[in-house]
Amino acid sequence: MRTNGYQKRAMRIYQFISEHLYFNRPDMEIKGERFNSAILLSLLTGLKKGKELIIGEPGLGKTTSAEYVCSLLYQFPLGVIWGSEVSGHPEQTEEKIIGRPDLGKLNRGEEDVVWTNFSQVPVKIVDEINRLPETKQSMILDGVDRGNWEYLNEMIINDEYCLFATANYQDGGTNTIIAPLVDRFDVMVESRYPGANLSFLIGKDKRKDHILRHPRYESDLYHILKSKIAYEKKVSKIEEVCNAYGDYIEEALEVKSFQRQDRDQIRTEMEGLGLDLDASAFTRMLLAELSFCERYGQKRVVENCEEGCHYTGYLCHQIKNCASNRLPSSIKQYAQGLAWLLEDSEIDIEHIKAVIPYTLAHRIQWKDEILSQKERSKRDDPFSIFLAKEAVKAVSQRYREQSEHLKDALAAGSNIFQGGDLEPLEGDHPIYAEVKKDIDARKR
Amino acid sequence: MKSSLPPKKNSNLSPDKENWKAKNPFEEFKTLATPALNLPMDQIVQSSEAIMDRIRWGYEKLLEEEAKELVWMVQYNTIIKAYEVAEKYVKEIDYTAEDVEDFCFAMENTQRIPYLIPGPAGIYISALCNYAKEEEILLKLSELKTEINLIGFRLPRGKRLRIEGDTGDFTGIGLEGGDLVVEGNAKNWTGAGMRGGKILIKKNIGLHTGEWMMGGEIYVGGRVRGLGNIVEGKVYERDKLVYPGKARYPNLYY
Repeated sequence: MRTNGYQKRAMRIYQFISEHLYFNRPDMEIKGERFNSAILLSLLTGLKKGKELIIGEPGLGKTTSAEYVCSLLYQFPLGVIWGSEVSGHPEQTEEKIIGRPDLGKLNRGEEDVVWTNFSQVPVKIVDEINRLPETKQSMILDGVDRGNWEYLNEMIINDEYCLFATANYQDGGTNTIIAPLVDRFDVMVESRYPGANLSFLIGKDKRKDHILRHPRYESDLYHILKSKIAYEKKVSKIEEVCNAYGDYIEEALEVKSFQRQDRDQIRTEMEGLGLDLDASAFTRMLLAELSFCERYGQKRVVENCEEGCHYTGYLCHQIKNCASNRLPSSIKQYAQGLAWLLEDSEIDIEHIKAVIPYTLAHRIQWKDEILSQKERSKRDDPFSIFLAKEAVKAVSQRYREQSEHLKDALAAGSNIFQGGDLEPLEGDHPIYAEVKKDIDARKR
Repeated sequence: MKSSLPPKKNSNLSPDKENWKAKNPFEEFKTLATPALNLPMDQIVQSSEAIMDRIRWGYEKLLEEEAKELVWMVQYNTIIKAYEVAEKYVKEIDYTAEDVEDFCFAMENTQRIPYLIPGPAGIYISALCNYAKEEEILLKLSELKTEINLIGFRLPRGKRLRIEGDTGDFTGIGLEGGDLVVEGNAKNWTGAGMRGGKILIKKNIGLHTGEWMMGGEIYVGGRVRGLGNIVEGKVYERDKLVYPGKARYPNLYY
């Protein structure tokens, strides 16, 4: 793979955060390299324009980890990031999240919108999203999904944006996150306790975040954000200040950040990475288990499995809902990011297996009996991520047993699709039934 | 799929419109050599399905012909008649002990087999076991919600049938020299009319045990609720000989 040093720069950002800003223990290993999942996935979220849900106990660095990553990847001083965050609470309004009428102009009988910093900057952090009541969560659905922010009859579109939302575990003040919003998050990760010793060090190091502050650039950026010029013009002015801040960071901290064109280039490089055959076949196998129902055609949250179904041993029998179309996209996006970061020439099954638990954990609704069966299992991860990791292990085992046959079945499917005179291959897994369905649909 | 693809309706698509054509969802696998047809695994799957179809068909025929009588009145002559029908169908099938076990499981877990009637099912399974090529057969019935009657009917000499789980009434009746082991409990009339062989029930057994038995031995690991009118043979309860012994009268607790 051709390298231009971007990966090393990204890894330097990872190291800097890991060593100086967000103390942690590595909790995932990919190809012999150990990472902390919260920083790694936040880094990939920033680079891939993704959406990440960070869960964890209060005070364990959910918001700050996202702030550091955003500051260093997008060259925004920390003060601006703080000023652009939206905090979730029951009294939150559209006017504080998206925009409000320009009252001065309104007095003159004109209608104009003053956009919030949150809607304008490319790095978006929603703190404690599950304190937003369900009804108010839908206000940010469109913006989260497409980067479109609408108020009155006006709209701004973020060409480049990423979203980080934090959520505490359920307590008296939290609400559930509505299903359509949950599904829009590409990944969910836990910001974990770093251990007593590292935690003790955090206590000693009081003002570590001041190193990412720069009052002058912060003031310049606020000035631009408040100005009444067109949003497109603001974006280029913001970039200029951000680049200057990036130079300052490089000089002061010896961390070279990414300018807009760098980030675009990185995304182009990531897009060029395809899945190898095993990665593709494994992902298809998993998706089949998460969506298949022999009796009702597909999984639906309102329908229960039949007793004695032939496919009792597969994930489809353990879950309630159907995998959404956003799931494969999230898997591919993050696996691409990971393969790029590790300087691999294509996405292989290891990349896929590493990211799947985090793309799956918040999207699966497990049946109650599965939850009660596994609730007390010994584990290191939060329950939902643990269950997703277990699911990946189970599918990996099945894939090991029949990978060659499955790839043959998919090759035969391709051949038939192109007009070949073959019969689809049989096999004992939902994926073979899915291949047949695709072929049958083609025949009609 | 035997037929070639339908002719393209619009061959003059513009470059953009080319993308509108149905996409091959398996595109990336087209470089992989197309697999040869009829792989061994396919053959195994297909042949075991075909065997299961035959076994199922035989059971359905037995139900059609004999079920009514067996459901309502269990008389020795109706059992013999039903067994003869089962024998007729079973003899024509080339199956293994594993297929018998699959059939037992399928009876309760698929909708392809219409009824699980404990009597006919037991007769049919007994016929399958008696005509299986293997000398030793293991049936895992512990998952079944229904206890099957008449299992081990006429088990011949040289055959050993082991059942995991409980069995219903008339277990091992008319045993003809085989070894029948039940890992769980058995109900009433176990070993009735048996002529030879051994029945081992690891847990408890019901009433009328060994009714009219003419020979052989019944070993019970748990408790015998009651003995039947035994003609000849031996019954042991927890290694203690209870017949011949002081228990002379049917179904008396001792």
